Amino acid sequence: MDRGMTGKYVPGETLLHRMDERAKLLAFLIMICAVIFTDSPAGYAVMFVFMAALGKAAGLSVNSVLSSVRRLGPFLILIFVMNSLFYTSEDPIWHFLIFSLSREGMIQGANVVLRIALVIVMSGILTRTTSPMELMSAIESLLHPLRYIGLPAEEIAMILSIAIQFIPTILEESDEIRKAQIARGARFESGKLRERAMALLPMIVPIFISSFKRADELAEAMEARGYRGAKNRTAKEKKKIDLRSVVMLLVCACVCAVQIVI
Amino acid sequence: MSEMTSVKKSIICAVCIALCYILPLFFHGIQNAGSIFCPMHIPVFICGLVCGWQYGLLCGISGPAISSALSGMPPVALLPSMMAELAVYGVITGILMKKIRTGSVYADLYISLTIAIIAGRVIAGLTRAFIFTKGSYSLAMWIGGYVVTSWPGTLIQFVFIPTIIFALMRAHLIPERYQRRDSAVQAGK
Repeated sequence: MDRGMTGKYVPGETLLHRMDERAKLLAFLIMICAVIFTDSPAGYAVMFVFMAALGKAAGLSVNSVLSSVRRLGPFLILIFVMNSLFYTSEDPIWHFLIFSLSREGMIQGANVVLRIALVIVMSGILTRTTSPMELMSAIESLLHPLRYIGLPAEEIAMILSIAIQFIPTILEESDEIRKAQIARGARFESGKLRERAMALLPMIVPIFISSFKRADELAEAMEARGYRGAKNRTAKEKKKIDLRSVVMLLVCACVCAVQIVI
Repeated sequence: MSEMTSVKKSIICAVCIALCYILPLFFHGIQNAGSIFCPMHIPVFICGLVCGWQYGLLCGISGPAISSALSGMPPVALLPSMMAELAVYGVITGILMKKIRTGSVYADLYISLTIAIIAGRVIAGLTRAFIFTKGSYSLAMWIGGYVVTSWPGTLIQFVFIPTIIFALMRAHLIPERYQRRDSAVQAGK
């Protein structure tokens, strides 16, 4: 049951639910910039406090906000361990055969893991408080200028919004495929570079097959419901972005500015 | 591969864009893996081959952009030349797969892939030399980066892309390019 809840829209009347979808998407993009600039403990503390506040404003429990991160726990640990043990450093803390534990490697691993976790939490909050139709309409609005040079903005918006929604699902399935390969004896965390890369290669074909199955099911469902391309869709009248959403955007811009300064 | 509806092509393109972010994640722990194994190239080639040049172009541009935004890889400094390279891969494979019909799926795939790989790498080198890192890029750097370092990635592309296409055809997730002899005989009867 919980498995299906990852990133799924939860209807509600909270502050974030009522916020304009275009402002929410813009805020999401600003926050991604903030994550890119975050690289200090103080910066991460600011981001986590802000994420907790956003989760509260969205009426989501800590458990539900962290569920996607928790599910990807083994994968995140793997990334941390690989970065810690294989980072090329001139001053390793511990060295044995091909393994080299270094402070820089651990910092690099922690940075990657924390950034992925923050983006997962942010995209979870966005998709839980924004319906797929609203998200698509928001992307479409941001891509609107493309229409003036003859590009199909509606189609591109639809493809990008589906791509973003597919990421947590395919990540979970990839993790399951990885576990299945470990059960068959694959070694992802040890061996030479060539051996570790070779262990990853058998995962590529199953990942494509399972992803294309998902795509096939979704395309069939959309066609069965009469979807014939974004061009033929009707859209509700666009409203102006309200003051509350503007304030929220400003707050996100401030958080991003703080990350740049820190 | 011409029987797919535009809705299905759009969804497959979306999945390939998502895979442009997910596949490289598995290689992040290995030093310099992105430039050696080129995991992000595979979904773009598949998208161009399966869906056509328009979708390949979109996947080639938005795949690295989304991955850079979500995981910081590729770094922002390398993003424009990588987007140009992947966009060329998507466009060329899409166009060639439509134009070339030798009667053998393997021949069509390998001809399209070879030309696209060469064209993409040449365009990426040219964009670096004349636009993004003007004046500080040389032929030796291009050969080192796009030919020598990435040869394992090129080998992986030649081995895995046809394998993935055939696996998808066999699973009936994409249409057969040519009617099989046995099914043609059955249809004749």
